[in-house]
Amino acid sequence: MGRGEDDSALRRDGFEICPWLSGIGMKATLEVINRMQADGVIGKYAIGGAVGATFYLEASATLDIDIFVSLKNPPGSPLLTLAPIYDYLTSRGYKTEKEYIDIEGWPVQFLPPSGALDEEALAQAIETEVQELPTRVITAEHLVALALRTARAKDFARILQFVEAGVLNADRLDQILKRHGLLEKWEQFGVKFFRGNP
Amino acid sequence: MNDWMRKVLDSKRAARRRLRALSFSEKLKLLEKLRERSLEISRSPLRRRENKKV
Repeated sequence: MGRGEDDSALRRDGFEICPWLSGIGMKATLEVINRMQADGVIGKYAIGGAVGATFYLEASATLDIDIFVSLKNPPGSPLLTLAPIYDYLTSRGYKTEKEYIDIEGWPVQFLPPSGALDEEALAQAIETEVQELPTRVITAEHLVALALRTARAKDFARILQFVEAGVLNADRLDQILKRHGLLEKWEQFGVKFFRGNP
Repeated sequence: MNDWMRKVLDSKRAARRRLRALSFSEKLKLLEKLRERSLEISRSPLRRRENKKV
């Protein structure tokens, strides 16, 4: 849906559309990230965190975008570095603040894979579009596994949202949790929030 | 739980289902609106005054 196109679905649900909301600001952010990919600065990427969860759930407030991203090792170095991303973006005028880079009004955190779960989540991400702009989103089951691993209060709240929404494939989630040693954490989560039956 | 409360909860569930069923683009519009409101609230002088009390 482009700028000025039909917003009837939102109006029907009682959401007044502000003029500045007739397009999506985040689309500009994703365009920059797609350009970085096309320019070879990053490899595959996928949206995670609260924005990724919005693909499956109702929208909830968040202030930043988590981008899982595959990086290439610099020549002669075994270490992955975010330096090429920072160099690319700061040379184009984008500002950094702590671990974020402000891209077209959205603070973006780039997360290179820190283990097998992240790598799998990135590899199996779903292809989708935002106003005809191609992008990728982490699967619901991987988002739950990542949240379970991170285990902050807001991560548990998000897992509960996923469970209540009924959008998880139980077999797929089970396989992911088994592969990445998260079954015990999942059982603890079940005991805490569902009295043993997640 | 009385009938009235049950109706309220059913209505909330139905609203959440409708919101989940929106396209990703439509949901991102809502997310941006929510973010703007969160930022406005955090910028409020009243909020800053309350934070100082804690």
